[in-house]
Amino acid sequence: MLIFASSDPDRQTFWRRIRKISLFCFSFSVASCDLYAQAQQESAGGNLKKLSIEELMEVEVTSVSRQPEKLTEVASAVQIITQEDIHRSGATSIPEVLRLSPNLQVAQLSSQHWIISARGFNAGFSNKLLVMIDGRTVYSPLFAGVFWDAQQVVLEDVERIEIISGPGATVWGANAVNGVINIITKRARDTQGLFVTAAAGSYLRGQYVARYGGQIGSRTYYRVFAQHNNRDNTFRSDGSDKDDRWYITQAGFRMGVEASESSSFSIQGNVYSGTEKTLPEESAIDGQNIMGRWNYAFSETSEMSLQLYFDRTWRRDIPSTISDELETYDLDFQHHFKWGSVQHVVWGLGYRLMEDKTQNATPIVGLVPQDRNMDLFSSFIQDEIRVADPLKFIIGAKFQHNEFSGFEIQPSARLAWQVNSRNTVWAAASRAIRAPSRIDVDYQLPTYDVPDGVPNVDGGPNFDSEKVLAYELGYRTQLSKKITLSLASYYNIYDDLYSVEALPNTVTYQIQNGVEGNSRGIEFSGTADILPDWRLRGGYTYFYKNLEPKPGHIANTAVLGNDAENIVLIQSTVTIVKYLQVDAVFRYIDQLPEPLVSDYFSYDVRLAWVTKHWEFSVVGQNLYEKRHIEYATEQTAEIPRSIYGRISWRY
Amino acid sequence: MSKAQSEAAREHQVKAVFLFNFAQFVQWPDIAFDHTTSQLVIGVLGTDPFGSFLDETVKGESVNGHPLRVLRFQKPEDVVGCHILFIQIPKNEQLREVLEKLKGRHILTVSESTTFIKQGGIVRFVKENNKIRFQINLAAAKEADLVISSKLLRLAEVVSN
Repeated sequence: MLIFASSDPDRQTFWRRIRKISLFCFSFSVASCDLYAQAQQESAGGNLKKLSIEELMEVEVTSVSRQPEKLTEVASAVQIITQEDIHRSGATSIPEVLRLSPNLQVAQLSSQHWIISARGFNAGFSNKLLVMIDGRTVYSPLFAGVFWDAQQVVLEDVERIEIISGPGATVWGANAVNGVINIITKRARDTQGLFVTAAAGSYLRGQYVARYGGQIGSRTYYRVFAQHNNRDNTFRSDGSDKDDRWYITQAGFRMGVEASESSSFSIQGNVYSGTEKTLPEESAIDGQNIMGRWNYAFSETSEMSLQLYFDRTWRRDIPSTISDELETYDLDFQHHFKWGSVQHVVWGLGYRLMEDKTQNATPIVGLVPQDRNMDLFSSFIQDEIRVADPLKFIIGAKFQHNEFSGFEIQPSARLAWQVNSRNTVWAAASRAIRAPSRIDVDYQLPTYDVPDGVPNVDGGPNFDSEKVLAYELGYRTQLSKKITLSLASYYNIYDDLYSVEALPNTVTYQIQNGVEGNSRGIEFSGTADILPDWRLRGGYTYFYKNLEPKPGHIANTAVLGNDAENIVLIQSTVTIVKYLQVDAVFRYIDQLPEPLVSDYFSYDVRLAWVTKHWEFSVVGQNLYEKRHIEYATEQTAEIPRSIYGRISWRY
Repeated sequence: MSKAQSEAAREHQVKAVFLFNFAQFVQWPDIAFDHTTSQLVIGVLGTDPFGSFLDETVKGESVNGHPLRVLRFQKPEDVVGCHILFIQIPKNEQLREVLEKLKGRHILTVSESTTFIKQGGIVRFVKENNKIRFQINLAAAKEADLVISSKLLRLAEVVSN
């Protein structure tokens, strides 16, 4: 076992171990708010008219509510996955739901693990994305990526998911280099009543969810829920069981108090515990979190929110031989107000303490020191200026201080030109950083001193943040009431990207910032209500990147991402008669270059019979092939075609 | 404008846009229009809660070639050439009488009154969890010879008197 102590080092195994750490790597992030809903309380006027009738039904009629800003007015590449999209897709987990966003590359690595990226860099290290659930950051500072298996959400209670591709650093914060995923669940008063669902099938062995929402007095609403998910194994290339079946149980609550016209409180929390089959023995995860939020409106044009949360997440990961317990305390304050007649200011302050404790099961590999407390201070300000009526200029910056790279500034400038009520052109220039994570700085292979001449990895004591300068140009149009189209293009310049390099004349490797390069791409998406009962949504994404070692550096750039050049997604929802729904999702992912993974096409189909209280559905997932590969790892998984049936009851 | 006032205004702005939307999801019989390009009229009977907002909402809009127009009526007898009628009268007892007079006229009647459906009205706005929802009385719609799209029905709570 102690290969690196031997005098005959096996380079291959060495690199395999370096890569293996990436398997452990899946998750982190910064708190926030409802994106554009965040802002505007301008007079309602013609904006309401642009809403679809479904959106109209979601408009709140009291003035404390935030004015829904039309998608067409936002100067960034935003995709929205609605509750309806989720429901009609047949998706059973957050990663499956995220497949519905054409600007994301979603790859299932095994039954338990996924990697998800926007604008490239799809790797075990997938670390340039900020992911939040109701404002709680869920990326792990351990490796700046997301452990998707631990992110359990009752899909029925998701209001929408906003996916912003491109830097969102100004408002959102650390890690929002290439995108932000903001999962927003419904408020307690929107989930009243009983909901029970049970699903079972060939890969989804069981999904059982129960939720009850009630009211206490006239101002307090709550919901409580519990769910259990049990998923079967994927397969090895020879068709044998990959030994990765797993199950997870979660329970939680959310409560909202509308204390007065101008003040509301909410508190929510959940606990989860899961067991994952791995070799040679089982891995385990568990966690608890609780969050409170207070919203207060000083006036119709000035509102603040104060949010506090605690999150503990733990995992014993047998394959990587590392266990990790992370406790996060986060305080976030935001205030937005109208300033004069043409300016709208949002500013905020935040503090986060992360107490991370790891345990290395063997001295072969691990984090040194094992435990680390990390502070993150942040503040931001953004001003939206209505220069002339159709022209909006948005300028802002985030100021952050993190444990490893110290003080960082992330500015952005955006311009939105609303040509008319149906057409918007926007452009943006931003700088964002991906702050170092523990895996960049503290990673040691092995964890003890070795004699000269024995290959080893000695952390990244000088590792600095990765940086991007992003230039974006976009166009959004509403061709008719039935068709909306959006086009976003970008050119990103990266510097100081991750590399693992030997120190001169030694076999001691250190994690450095030895790669630079650029990427460019186009994201095209749209929705079309072809008939009143037939809706199509989808998109096409093109991505190209060019990374090279910086002068004087020798680095393998392939580890930074195995990205598809072309991705196509189409979701179709059809209601044949009032009760019968026939839905499908088609997707095409181009080949991944290194290591080579063939391109693939697949589709999911959902048939459902829906009545007021009951719903019966059958869903086939990944139907095109018996098994397909989405990503190559040391132990590549083949994802099976699968089917499940579901019965739901709501009252 | 006080907060209460602005809230009321907001609620009716949303309802006004609903009325505009209804025009697109309801099919009237041909005889409800003089010719294929004649106006589709949204009427308000009784107190008008919308101010100029309803007019602004439908301004320049048309549905299937019918330009939209808003008309206001004081008495049920005045109601002519109307396709959608929002009814707001102070006394519930008068409702039945009003609806009786509108019978067989191919008018999508809409109101907020709690007893509206019971008295034979077609669409009733309901405020639920701070949002505007609506009920549809399918039998009454059929009686008025109106075909309501399944999409609208899906979003509505379908009720009967």
